[in-house]
Amino acid sequence: MFAPAAKEPLGAALEADYCFVRALGDAPLVYNPYRTVEPLKSFFTPAQEKLLDYFLPDKDSNAKQAEKNVIFGVKSCDITGHKVQDYVFLEGVEVDSQYRLRRENTLIISSDCTGFKEVCHCLAWDILPHPAVGFDINLSPLNDGYLAEVGSAAGEDFVQKYDEYFSRAKEPQINARNKKRENFIEQLRKHLLPQNLVRKDSVQKLVKEGYNLNTWQEFMLTCVECGGCNLICDTCHCFLLADRAMPSSQKPGGKENGAHEKLRLWDSCLYANYARVAGGANPLKMRAQRLRNRFMKKFDFFVDNLGVPACCGCGRCIEVCPGKIDIREVLKDLAKKSSPHK
Amino acid sequence: MKNIYRPIEATLEDVITETPTIKTFVLRPKEPFEFKTGQFIELTLPGVGEAPFTPSSDPNIKAKIDVTIMNVGKITSLLHNSSTNISLGIRGPYGKGYPLESFFGKDILIVGGGVGLAPLRSLLLSLFAQIDRYNKIVLRYGARTSSDIVFKDALPEWAKKDKVDVVTTVDLGDASWRGNVGLVTTILKDVPVDLKKAVAIVCGPPIMMKFVTLKLLDLGFQPPDIYLSMEKSMSCGLGKCGHCRIGKYYICKDGPVFTYEQLRDIYDIWD
Repeated sequence: MFAPAAKEPLGAALEADYCFVRALGDAPLVYNPYRTVEPLKSFFTPAQEKLLDYFLPDKDSNAKQAEKNVIFGVKSCDITGHKVQDYVFLEGVEVDSQYRLRRENTLIISSDCTGFKEVCHCLAWDILPHPAVGFDINLSPLNDGYLAEVGSAAGEDFVQKYDEYFSRAKEPQINARNKKRENFIEQLRKHLLPQNLVRKDSVQKLVKEGYNLNTWQEFMLTCVECGGCNLICDTCHCFLLADRAMPSSQKPGGKENGAHEKLRLWDSCLYANYARVAGGANPLKMRAQRLRNRFMKKFDFFVDNLGVPACCGCGRCIEVCPGKIDIREVLKDLAKKSSPHK
Repeated sequence: MKNIYRPIEATLEDVITETPTIKTFVLRPKEPFEFKTGQFIELTLPGVGEAPFTPSSDPNIKAKIDVTIMNVGKITSLLHNSSTNISLGIRGPYGKGYPLESFFGKDILIVGGGVGLAPLRSLLLSLFAQIDRYNKIVLRYGARTSSDIVFKDALPEWAKKDKVDVVTTVDLGDASWRGNVGLVTTILKDVPVDLKKAVAIVCGPPIMMKFVTLKLLDLGFQPPDIYLSMEKSMSCGLGKCGHCRIGKYYICKDGPVFTYEQLRDIYDIWD
């Protein structure tokens, strides 16, 4: 079971952060008013993971794989962003069965946002700060308890199993929840309104028509190529399959079976070698090309393939960036520099 | 539970030197493995890594797979220096391959550059196996110098076949070379194909594909009739790792063969 724990802000002016920790440990669990630091994807595709040993059949490690997880404190942005991960790993030419198993064995207990960080901008992508689908159970704080909404068969089973903790919600309670939600949306809207963010339905056109603008060069000036924006992103999914040579083994391709491992590592399209091919050619050699590639992937590729942009407005990439590159500002700059008719 | 990233084991049975920088690796998979011409595999050197290659052999031969590889990077150079009988990994086949059915009854112009003839050999052997279905096969091949020509023994044999027309050129001539000198575009002037029922298939370095495509358009080929083998950095081969995106496509799962029609509106396709 994983749940958020609060991290003390470093200064009085800073916002508190919440991190997923293994529940029932030392850290006191809290109701996180907004999303955690880590993206939800880290539960399903870890940053580094061993995929196999050469050339051994897959070990029957069902015991570990069948481990059931419950995650508390998932937010609407996480759930929406995670649809991209589901699209990548559950659809297409092959299903990643390890991912599917983890997905099937994870109970997602989401909760309404009751606060926001400065960087939060879900509403700009038409995502509400409380989830409507995609959870097993959603919690809305009300008075001294919570209103629980069941969103799946697994959630239903859970509520049945622990029915002594639940009682049927009454109409006024549901109304009170809805009122609370509306109030919070209004509060968030007021925060976002002066930011004048670009509209969801204009974003594909913006990145396509802005392909040759100098926005990419200008915003890339402060990038240190840490890849943080990708690694912390709920929708970024790029990975690299890499081999790890075992020190005990002989030369590559040697006969001793099981000596070497294949790993999957998160990758970042901001890294200089992301698109480099054997022989050294690199279609994303320039830093500005790499920033543009990131935006084309999010706002062009995914709009074409999934029907929605691959951004959930969680603002993690803004928060993590040492170069203060702000996805909102990049898009606004494209809008500003595109033709005045739009 | 299927592990989609698991390669099957293959024994490196033979290594054939084609040119000073290109070798053909003959692999014998330990489990049944089939591919369609134009599909590619991820070839693993365990403990080092993997790289994508399109087999150069006839897909009708199931027991062995040839992969013709130029020594350009880390994995390819280790492969070039490796001895036979080691174990390599094969994942795949990936991608869509050539749509052979849509070539039936047509004049097929095949334009290759350098080691780009490797996947095209697989295609040619597939076409030869059902030669009655096609009207004509015209191969135009360019290499940098005469010593860079791959499949030197096979080229004259192919030229002797009925319904097959082969012309080769080198960019830089030398004393030993009596054939054409000039870029591959220079031998595309009078290709003996009927444009009304012709397709063109191009494979080679990006810069060569760019200028061949422009030349083909100039000759009157239509964008849907020009088939290009695209390449980019790839890792998974399954449309999941994200590396080989080009516009709205992934080269690994939507290609690696695309028509120019599919690509013409995408930025920077030749980079």
